[in-house]
Amino acid sequence: MTRQAFLARLREGLRGLSPQTIEDIVSDYEAHFAEGAAAGRTEAEVAAALGDPGRLAREVRAEAGLKNWEENRNPSAAAGAVFAVLGLGAIDILILLPVLMAVGGALFGTFIAAVACFFAGGAMFGSSPFYHGPGGVWAMVLAGLGMMAGSAAVAAVLSLICIGLVNALVWYGRLHFRLLKPVIET
Amino acid sequence: MAETIQVQLKKGVLELCVLALLSQHDSYAYEIANRLAEGIDMGEGTIYPLMRRMQSDGLVDTYLVESSSGPPRKYYRLTQAGKTSFIAQKAEWAAFANAVAAILGDAE
Repeated sequence: MTRQAFLARLREGLRGLSPQTIEDIVSDYEAHFAEGAAAGRTEAEVAAALGDPGRLAREVRAEAGLKNWEENRNPSAAAGAVFAVLGLGAIDILILLPVLMAVGGALFGTFIAAVACFFAGGAMFGSSPFYHGPGGVWAMVLAGLGMMAGSAAVAAVLSLICIGLVNALVWYGRLHFRLLKPVIET
Repeated sequence: MAETIQVQLKKGVLELCVLALLSQHDSYAYEIANRLAEGIDMGEGTIYPLMRRMQSDGLVDTYLVESSSGPPRKYYRLTQAGKTSFIAQKAEWAAFANAVAAILGDAE
């Protein structure tokens, strides 16, 4: 592979990172080719010693996504981490995908149900003064409060499960690093 | 299995090796990569992500030096934190290597 092809594939693969970061990384490898040429090596030799630029870019980008999740625990960072792991393109992760989607769907559904229950509880609480059924007004007040508290607890447990799942995925994704394996912290 | 052990061993000492090289004198990535590729058979491309991480961890920083051949070179030097980390990691490695050597010696 020529120097130009290597750098083009690297740059292409890094797309999505900040332009500054991409420039920094690409210029490092550009300098490496220049040093290699000064030492009398051909472009093909240097490229072969550096390894596959596409693979390198995928791992660098994945690691950036995973690190972002570890530093900023928010939903968009979580989504970024999930996509970063999927972006590694490892076969066994892709096989895992349907399971992942099923689990994610179930969690999402339960979360929506919890939100709905919360509002239903709120409605019961709000309408309690107009309630004249068995148990009277206070039964309705307590039932409404109970439903709200219960659904808030379910939602809290759900978010803990989600965080745990994303962390597990991050750990699993890092097992697939080849070039970066010696570099990442454990 | 042998391969996994190799990877694990290298992973542990790569940063230590870079710290050691830089404690002797400031250097640029190509030179560091060359030394490591010769000594412990590390892929050359691995050096750049490693240097980036060590820089973001505050172990090294960089400065540019005009070069006779081509564009200015980016040199790396140890920060105070890097020097401290080198001393600590070196001691840890020595203790570990001694312990392993003692066990290997017993087995003979």
